[in-house]
Amino acid sequence: MLLGPKLDADIYSSIRDLARKFANEVIRPRAEELDRDELFPIEIFTQMAELGLFGVTVPDELGGSGLDCLAYAIVMEELSRGYASVADQCGLVELIGTLLTKHGTPDQQQAYLPEILGFKKKVAYGITEAEGGSDVAGIRSTAARTESGWLLNGSKLWINNAPVADIGFVLARTDPDQGHRGMSIFIVDLHAKGVSRSPKEHKMGQRSSQVGALFFDDVVIPENALLGELDRGFYIMMGVLEKGRLGIGSLSVGIAQAGLEAALEYAKVRKQFGKPLAENQGLQWMLADMAKEITAARALVQQAALKLDHGAPATAASSMAKCFASDTAVAQTANAVQIFGGSGYIRGFEVERLYRDAKITQIYEGTNQIQRTIIARDLLKNGIR
Amino acid sequence: MKILVPVKRVADAAQPLRIAADGRSIDGDSVVPIINPFDAIALEEAVRLREKGADVSEIVVVSIGPATAEKELRGALAVGADRALLLETKKAVDPWNVSAVLQAIIASESPDLVIMGKQAVDDDSNQVGQFLAARLNWPQATFASNVEVAEGSLSVRRETDRGIESTRLPLPAIVTCDLRLNEPRYAPLPAILKAKRKPLEVRPLAECGVTIEPRVEVVALEPVDTSRSCVMVESIDELVKQLKQTA
Ligand SMILES: Cc1cc2nc3c(=O)[nH]c(=O)nc-3n(C[C@H](O)[C@H](O)[C@H](O)COP(=O)(O)OP(=O)(O)OC[C@H]3O[C@@H](n4cnc5c(N)ncnc54)[C@H](O)[C@@H]3O)c2cc1C
Repeated sequence: MLLGPKLDADIYSSIRDLARKFANEVIRPRAEELDRDELFPIEIFTQMAELGLFGVTVPDELGGSGLDCLAYAIVMEELSRGYASVADQCGLVELIGTLLTKHGTPDQQQAYLPEILGFKKKVAYGITEAEGGSDVAGIRSTAARTESGWLLNGSKLWINNAPVADIGFVLARTDPDQGHRGMSIFIVDLHAKGVSRSPKEHKMGQRSSQVGALFFDDVVIPENALLGELDRGFYIMMGVLEKGRLGIGSLSVGIAQAGLEAALEYAKVRKQFGKPLAENQGLQWMLADMAKEITAARALVQQAALKLDHGAPATAASSMAKCFASDTAVAQTANAVQIFGGSGYIRGFEVERLYRDAKITQIYEGTNQIQRTIIARDLLKNGIR
Repeated sequence: MKILVPVKRVADAAQPLRIAADGRSIDGDSVVPIINPFDAIALEEAVRLREKGADVSEIVVVSIGPATAEKELRGALAVGADRALLLETKKAVDPWNVSAVLQAIIASESPDLVIMGKQAVDDDSNQVGQFLAARLNWPQATFASNVEVAEGSLSVRRETDRGIESTRLPLPAIVTCDLRLNEPRYAPLPAILKAKRKPLEVRPLAECGVTIEPRVEVVALEPVDTSRSCVMVESIDELVKQLKQTA
């Protein structure tokens, strides 16, 4: 069945215009510097908070923008066209906002959402550990019951925002014998006693994202810091990942689109053999294929968004979108570099950065192998739908 | 104080434009439409006057243009206008006739202040504000770079070729805005949603009671040659010579 957008078409186009203008005027001009110096652009994030770009799908009565997943997908693509690391912050806040909206108590929502969506407090989403990457069941962090709450021990690896975050949403074992059924999520004050952090990692791409490790040594967790049901944390985390994958799919389309735009422009301007590159049919077909792949990726992403908005099963759709779009981002930014020739390999040319920024999209938010596993599982269980 | 802000949907001049096959108009397919940037500044100023505590009862935006200009009007509502009016026409209307239509609108809307862009970036006429002031016999301050409201009058700083001129004018009045007056804000996402529920009235231009008698006919459009070639010079003398010959 064909699913349609829930809001009027002109609302989505106004949202795209805003996000595009903001990306063109505020984000993109700073991308090179943010990448080079690994800077965390708090002033850009503060402005994004004012514009309602954090918590796009969080209901307005909870301080969000009250829009749907299609709007969120559009925002993510446009922000990422400016710079993927900035979009990734939007994705992270969206994920946490969704967790709190769906599973937070009214007290937790009131205590955290305004500060998080207003970017007064920075968040981190902590699942991955040294032993638990793709296999989340392998995590070892534990939260042991005490009289007044829990005692958290363990460490988390490669956590976005870890070096700067104020509040962590941390997955830990609450029933060590129960595998997936024995994990819970805790809202952890990252300035509390017993919390420490590694210095930030130096990464291949999306270098403005501050990624590092978090260490928990007998951190006292109060009773009201449990998010959602006890021992259901794994399922709760996985439940919001559909939106997370949609977000990374959109972010990937944005990177690819920026690459296409740069390549198209360059092919028209750069002359060799007495004529613009774009007059060679071989390159024209390359550009045509780039546009075709990116359009297909965007269509998959938007389809997943519509499924989420209509409450239709979206597990396979969001994994397909994430997997296809991130593969597209890597392949098509590689083509963009190719069209630039030697310039495309030199720091300071946008496509060089885009190619580096693209790679992680095949890895985080579940590697593309894991996405295929999810798609296959859905196929085998539910058939083709 | 009621403020009227006329806004025009124009082609984004930063995007490449093509001349249509008739040689007298712009190919619509090549146009990326935007609100005229000077009008966005005018709207921003109206909203700021209200935010700075001036007693602004209503901000009304009005546009003369195609049905699609509803988008720019919705954008204006998202930025902070209260109500919008679109006088729909498929034809381009020249400045003299725009001022005639605005005069008719002003007769029914009775604003205390009309604040508008100094010009539209598509045909760069820079005439509507002045024509309108003449028709209404209202005071005008063109090329405003600062506007303050004080008890029934306006203090406006104007950018002129000789420097900044400070003027005071009684209301009602016309102000046209220059680039440095302010930097228009972005409309936040929730405001975009809310704008959808604000009133926007569409009327055929023909029904506003003004007979359009075109005074301007576009005979031909030609692209300007923007290609530049680099010349290396050996000395200052040669540079001066080059400048004299080619600049
Ligand atoms: C920049 C960055 C930011 C990150 N941000 C966060 C964050 O904010 N929060 C968070 O919790 N985590 C975060 N991560 C961690 C990220 O989600 C994991 O790196 C990712 O899930 C993969 O886990 P792994 O690195 O342990 O790889 P592994 O699981 O060791 O996988 C290695 C390879 O084996 C493949 N593989 C593994 N299992 C299978 C299988 N069953 N079948 C087929 N192939 C398989 C994988 O696809 C991969 O190619 C981040 C990582 C990076 C690099």
